[in-house]
Amino acid sequence: MKKLKKALAAVLAAAMVMSVSPVTSMAAFDDTLNFGCYVYSTSFDPAAYQNAAWQGVRWGITECLFKFNDDMSVEPLLCDTYEVSDDKMTWTFHIREGVQFSNGDACDAQAVADSLNRLFYVCANSDDYSSTPAGYIDMASIEADTDANTVTIVTNTAVADLTATLCFPFYSIIDVYGDTTDAEHEGGYATSVIATGPYALSSFDATTKSGTMVANEYYWKEEVPYGTVNVTFIEDDSTKAMSLMSGLIDLTENVTTSSDLATLEASDAYYVSQSSSLRSGFAYINMDGILGNDTLRQAIRMAIDSTTMCEITVGGMYTAGVGILPSSLIYEDEDLDNPYAYDLEAAVALLDEAGIVDTDGDGVRELDGENINLNYITYNNRCLSDFAAAIQSTLSQYLGIGVSVNSTDSDTEWMLMQSGEYDLCDSNWTTVGTGDPTAFLLNWYGGTDGSNFYSTENPDGTNYCNYDSDEFDALYEQFIASTDTDERNALVVEMEQVLVNDCAVLLHGYYNSTMISNASKVTGAEIATFDYYWLSTDIKPAE
Amino acid sequence: MRKNLEFLKKHKAFTVFALLAIALALVAIFAPYIAPYDPYEAILTDALQAPSSTHWFGTDKLGRDLFSRVIYGSRISLSSALILVACIFVVGSVLGILAGYFGGWVDAVIMRIADMMISFPGMVLAIAIAGILGASITNAVIAITAVSWTKYARLARSLVLKIKNCDYIAAARVTGSTTPHILYTYLFPNVMPTLMVTAFTDIGSMMLELAGLSFLGFGAQAPQAEWGLMLSEGRSYMQAAPWMMLYPGLAILVTVVIFNLLGDSLRDVLDPRDE
Repeated sequence: MKKLKKALAAVLAAAMVMSVSPVTSMAAFDDTLNFGCYVYSTSFDPAAYQNAAWQGVRWGITECLFKFNDDMSVEPLLCDTYEVSDDKMTWTFHIREGVQFSNGDACDAQAVADSLNRLFYVCANSDDYSSTPAGYIDMASIEADTDANTVTIVTNTAVADLTATLCFPFYSIIDVYGDTTDAEHEGGYATSVIATGPYALSSFDATTKSGTMVANEYYWKEEVPYGTVNVTFIEDDSTKAMSLMSGLIDLTENVTTSSDLATLEASDAYYVSQSSSLRSGFAYINMDGILGNDTLRQAIRMAIDSTTMCEITVGGMYTAGVGILPSSLIYEDEDLDNPYAYDLEAAVALLDEAGIVDTDGDGVRELDGENINLNYITYNNRCLSDFAAAIQSTLSQYLGIGVSVNSTDSDTEWMLMQSGEYDLCDSNWTTVGTGDPTAFLLNWYGGTDGSNFYSTENPDGTNYCNYDSDEFDALYEQFIASTDTDERNALVVEMEQVLVNDCAVLLHGYYNSTMISNASKVTGAEIATFDYYWLSTDIKPAE
Repeated sequence: MRKNLEFLKKHKAFTVFALLAIALALVAIFAPYIAPYDPYEAILTDALQAPSSTHWFGTDKLGRDLFSRVIYGSRISLSSALILVACIFVVGSVLGILAGYFGGWVDAVIMRIADMMISFPGMVLAIAIAGILGASITNAVIAITAVSWTKYARLARSLVLKIKNCDYIAAARVTGSTTPHILYTYLFPNVMPTLMVTAFTDIGSMMLELAGLSFLGFGAQAPQAEWGLMLSEGRSYMQAAPWMMLYPGLAILVTVVIFNLLGDSLRDVLDPRDE
């Protein structure tokens, strides 16, 4: 029976993988790693756009000056020491001696400064580059001292910890003068980069989003464990699991179908590394719509059993919590109080007392004379549509609130969100990508002059849900002005509490990332807390 | 009565499949009395339970009883397939008869539109139309109607072309019969049996097409109990909870087989060579 199952899995996986993309060479040499993963970008240039920057780091091609550890501490990478001025505006980084790019060129202070200057320049001056490095660093200048092999970065405002920000993939270092031409790309391989990571891209097919990497023979840190890494784009989670079970791939990431993950966990043949990530799954609440009603929001929050949804509906892929930031982070979220904890009876009573009742007997409550029918937009990513289905059933069954779920693709969902055509809109965010939630909390910051509310007239605004709280805005402004770590952390918790009190967001839970490997072939495949780290030299052939 | 019984005895296959089709229709009509649970009642803590005496077909990812959902699914799947076949039958037949009888520019316009629709792969065009209209079972019916009426139009046209120059049609014209009268009294009854057989045979394939659109997300939407959608919901659980795909799949299989064989046996009944 086991053999039959394995054979069936092999046939199914082969058929499904073939249908997704022509598989790159799958020869199973000892020094070849076959990695099946979702591919979010066809570029590896950190200046191109965020997913491209992430992909360079994820594939082990690019590296930054610093790197996050799982406990959010910062570890030097291309930089070995640094100094900071008292006003925290002048940062001097010494570049590690002996680092070389994969083409053999030196990665010294001048190369680092050129890379960072190019990043800021092209992103500010060319429509072809949409990364936003200036969004995290208010840069004044970047200069190299070639004698001292240091790079000095001067900012316009004080920065609490620039080393953490420099961990973000935008700021990965590439050889801006490197020759990316090859036989097939005489004019230069525009989407590729030459960098310092353990692996270097040798081919990539933008159509199938699959490619091959080879070991960087100049890698500065240690011997690179694999001579070749074949990366195959696999979109579907079940296909990832079946490809692994059939032996077509040795390693995969983030199988989000709980049943497939349970099958892999139950077998000794596979090693499943699971970790609390920095991601929160949640639904934006459009305050300009029917959910601007406080009582309705409170009742909905109380009617949703997040614990059961996290543990059963999505099979433990998420961990339930109170605050919008993952509880695994350094913020003291045990201090958070949830006045709207799960209590179905209280939710029903709350609506009844507020006169939000079903007067015409059609099973749906009315507000201001109209049936409550929420427009819930979601997309099929990291179990978000499962949450949407469960919330839809819960609200209509127990609370008498109609919910129309519109499951679409991420681009369409984003456009609908920008145009305000939603009541609930699912999302999954990396909350502290640069080491703190400055960017993430902007989702609810309106600005004292309303400058951060998104509209077609104000496309730079990042508050898409029209949440307007003077208390939250004041705390946020205090937070970004502070350079004291303890004070900043306390302010984050206060902001979380304000969001909880106002039921400003419908939190699903904190996402648990996974990395799954074939135990007989691969060792050291651990998922990092920061999910822009996938391939590293820790992942080696099993002995 | 005796004549009817003799007819049923003579055409045993047709009788059996007609009875099975009627049984399916009765299941759909009396679904509330057959299903043991509310098909939309989600008990999250009961998710993915294997088939048992409590839940005969097991439960889905939201803890809903699959047996009840499969039973209720017959309502949407059967009714939408029948409505779809009725739509393509009426639209295709009327346009085909008009094209065949009047000829000239009427024929040219109708048949060139039909040729245009045929030049695209049917399912791809249906997906495009359903995508533009928005995902719903009604729009799925409209989308498949838009690409499937041509078959009936071409068939009806060819049948009309065969008989429109017959002597009895000419006689009708000479005796002063109006065009609507000729169409209704002479042409329509003559083309009807062939079109009817085609319609019955198509019920199964149309059901499959509708289920296909729902499976791809262009037809019925959650939380509707529709077989294609249920298959799609069960796809991710194919290994761990195969019953989520098995029972809706079986329901589709059984229904499609019954209607296909009913169509075949009806053709045998109406085949003049059998006389």
